[in-house]
Amino acid sequence: MIESTADYELAPDRQEIRPSRPAQSYWSESWERLRRNRLGVAAGTLIALLALMAVAAPVLQALVTHQDPSRQDLGTNFDLPGRAHWLGSDELGRDTLTRLIYGARISLGVGFLTVAIQLTVGAATGLASGYYGGVLDDVLMRIVDVVLAFPPIFLFIGMSILFRPSTVTLSLIIASVGWGVVARLVRGEVLSIKNRDFMLATRSIGARDARLILGHLVPNVLPVMIVAASLALGQIILIEAALDFLGLGIQPPTPSWGNMLTNAQTYFVHSGWLVIFPGLTIFVTVLAANLFGNAVRDAYDPRLR
Amino acid sequence: MADHLLEVRGLKTQFPTKDGLVRAVDGVDFHVDPGETLGIVGESGSGKSMTVLSIMRLLPRPGRVVAGQVLYRGRDLVKASEAEMQEVRGEEIAMIFQDPMTSLNPVYRSGWQVGEPLRLHKGFKLAASLREAVAMFGKVGIPEPAKRIENYPHEFSGGMRQRAMIAMGLTTAPSVLIADEPTTALDVTIQAQILELLKDVNREFGTATVLITHNLGVVAGMCERVMVMYAGRVVEEGPTEDVFADPRHPYTWALLQSIPRLDADAHEPLRAIEGMPPDLSSLPDGCAFHPRCPFRVDRCLHDTPPLEWVGQTQRSACWVTQGGADLNAATARGEEGESRV
Amino acid sequence: MLAKYTVRRVLASIPVVLGVTVLTFLVMHATAGSYVPGLDLNPYLKPADIARIRSNLGLDRPLYVQYGTWLIGIAHGDFGRSLLDGSPVMSHIVERLPNTLELTVTAILLGVALSIPLGVTGALRRGGKIDNLFTLLSTAGFAIPQFWLGLILILFFSVQLHAWRLPWLPSGGAFSSFNGGDVMDRLEHLVLPATVLSFFYLSVWSRFVRSSMVEVLSQDYVRTARAKGMPERRVVYVHALRNAVVPLVTLVGLELPALVSGGLVVEVVFGWPGIGRLAFERATQYDYTTVMGITTFAALLVVFGNLLADVLYAWLDPRIRYA
Repeated sequence: MIESTADYELAPDRQEIRPSRPAQSYWSESWERLRRNRLGVAAGTLIALLALMAVAAPVLQALVTHQDPSRQDLGTNFDLPGRAHWLGSDELGRDTLTRLIYGARISLGVGFLTVAIQLTVGAATGLASGYYGGVLDDVLMRIVDVVLAFPPIFLFIGMSILFRPSTVTLSLIIASVGWGVVARLVRGEVLSIKNRDFMLATRSIGARDARLILGHLVPNVLPVMIVAASLALGQIILIEAALDFLGLGIQPPTPSWGNMLTNAQTYFVHSGWLVIFPGLTIFVTVLAANLFGNAVRDAYDPRLR
Repeated sequence: MADHLLEVRGLKTQFPTKDGLVRAVDGVDFHVDPGETLGIVGESGSGKSMTVLSIMRLLPRPGRVVAGQVLYRGRDLVKASEAEMQEVRGEEIAMIFQDPMTSLNPVYRSGWQVGEPLRLHKGFKLAASLREAVAMFGKVGIPEPAKRIENYPHEFSGGMRQRAMIAMGLTTAPSVLIADEPTTALDVTIQAQILELLKDVNREFGTATVLITHNLGVVAGMCERVMVMYAGRVVEEGPTEDVFADPRHPYTWALLQSIPRLDADAHEPLRAIEGMPPDLSSLPDGCAFHPRCPFRVDRCLHDTPPLEWVGQTQRSACWVTQGGADLNAATARGEEGESRV
Repeated sequence: MLAKYTVRRVLASIPVVLGVTVLTFLVMHATAGSYVPGLDLNPYLKPADIARIRSNLGLDRPLYVQYGTWLIGIAHGDFGRSLLDGSPVMSHIVERLPNTLELTVTAILLGVALSIPLGVTGALRRGGKIDNLFTLLSTAGFAIPQFWLGLILILFFSVQLHAWRLPWLPSGGAFSSFNGGDVMDRLEHLVLPATVLSFFYLSVWSRFVRSSMVEVLSQDYVRTARAKGMPERRVVYVHALRNAVVPLVTLVGLELPALVSGGLVVEVVFGWPGIGRLAFERATQYDYTTVMGITTFAALLVVFGNLLADVLYAWLDPRIRYA
């Protein structure tokens, strides 16, 4: 029987503290999360493969399909998928598969280029606007307001009749609206970061504007931009395809997924399948882009932490 | 022993998570009789909220009651159907929550919400329920009640909102009122008012009150009996006066020790409890408190002490005190720096 | 308070209105400039006459004066004249806008009406097979090109059903030219294009309602509702739903600009006589002034729509007036 406290061990042994995980940077941690998202990885791989296919189109054409995308062969027009034309042929006997491969150049080319332009211009505007504030901010944001007041599709139509459509001009046209959204987004992030203590601290040790903007603001704004970019790619591909379909984008005979559908309505009644493949390709590509974009957002968006 | 109004026996609640099985409530026994006030004290993660949510069967996913009984007027609520529970909730056992700002629906008027239990359980029509709401507002001390029932929750101050919540709980004259940290989200001065209100309500309506808090001062001011929880288990239980004057568990003892005193020497260090709160998915063997206990002995590392009587009125789950040790005496001896054995 | 806020918002809109009109004016001037239909080609006019006509039309005035005329014209509802036939743009707008609205409003209403039950079901059976199916469908719906979906639906519901001698849906137009025009006829024509247009909204909004509902269901006040002994159905449909759809209203409000322009592609595919299709047709004929006139009209509508929405929000939620 225990009689007194002298029998007890007044023990200051510490409970063993488990070692914490090694410190990991935001970037490597986000990359890990992205890698573990199998659907996202699959989607991203698909996009990468499509891009590769687009770049290697002439090679593929020469070695794999042995078809010229603009070679007309009225003898084999409206072919169903078969040995001569693996995915069939269109009204002029041109091979659908080869045209689809070349079409990827347009869709992905415009897609990536537009994203690049949007991000660059939008980020620069947002950074300047958010960081310097004052009159510059007012003016820039008014300009963005004006740009965003126009319904995009009208703007695209209007601009496409002003300039001869090519991959570059289409990218510029589509980006002319998108940069505004990016600018607002970046400005918002800058405003919330600008006033955090670490910015004040860095400033107080004498860092100049350029260093603050490039060295500190940009890395913190980058995640939001990445997320916005990956979510936008799918939409841009859809817009570009719509413009092509309407005949206001890339003109035939240059094949693009959108303009391959332009004549489909005319040949509906007896060759309905002409509609299937180009549209399916657009659908699958945009789906992959969206899924990848979602995965990127789940992994990198700092607001979801 | 006569049947208690509400009795919990051997309650165990668990959460299967991807990091392991969390034993939120690990064998809890207590009871409440009509008109009594019971305080449940413990730090975050001690299982106090989960215990009462288990009683009400309002556990968040993926929590489950895996063992034990909850006897309300002799009926086991653990085995009751959802429909039967819906009759008990709000009518027989009412519960109010910590943060009245988020616990009241922001899109409906307060009077409509406060009168709702009457419409649900007692068949009141809207107009009659609103009249009752006005009456209850008056009883809980909300001025201009007839006007106030038209207000939305965000139009009330913190203290008024909590009064409204209390009114909402009492409209159906329940037998038991469970208050989960009702004052934690309020200013200190308002806290005192709300506690006074709860005491008045308990006296006037005879509602048994179970008050959950981490604040010993709140318990001292309000509850006749107190129950101390640690790591999902009850470690001490008894009349408040007795437990505070003569704690029979090292955890209670340490809690009371850690309260800073105005009359202490300015240079005296504050006494915190050493160590970290327990990880409920991997509890240590033996007594859950032993890694932080200044009184532990060998047995504490291997055997889990049951809740037993240690004195006339108190129960404690501690080998040391069950063996007859007096913790206060140990304190006294410690202060004098010598052993009197 | 509300008045002051309204005035502030109106003042803030003025630069945007100016920006929009300046931009469209410059574009029109650069493309069509001092072009008067038929003037240069008329062999009976002497250069002096041409100069006089131009002067009468104010085409030799300085740029800012011409802009001023353009602006004043807009204030009176004059959005210019077509380069092709000189017809006033406004008359085209008046003629075509109701058709577009018929289409877009139906699509939005369809979207809202369907996305709420879909979203709520997904939230209630979170993680289950139905939820996964809905999520899959909405992810897919987000990726489908509108024009392709339209073509596919026409292919099936108009061409195929007709080939199989089943009742089929019309493939174009808003109503039949002969012995048509009644409500049933118009509805028949409306079904396919409205479905295509609402598809996108449905995909986005149903996901949104679902996540909003999931979040609301985890709120404290839902727990309070259950603690009051409420049947789960009432908890979901009376206490939770009211809160979950509030952010949807904001989303739908953001689509107001699309009421005018959103249907363009669908209008073209289905031959719908709306304002979008008009803009498209005129664009292919390089009728710059009509296209710009319609664009200006739509943009100004957006600006005023946003203004109205802001004031409405401030009226509904008193806290905003002080922002």
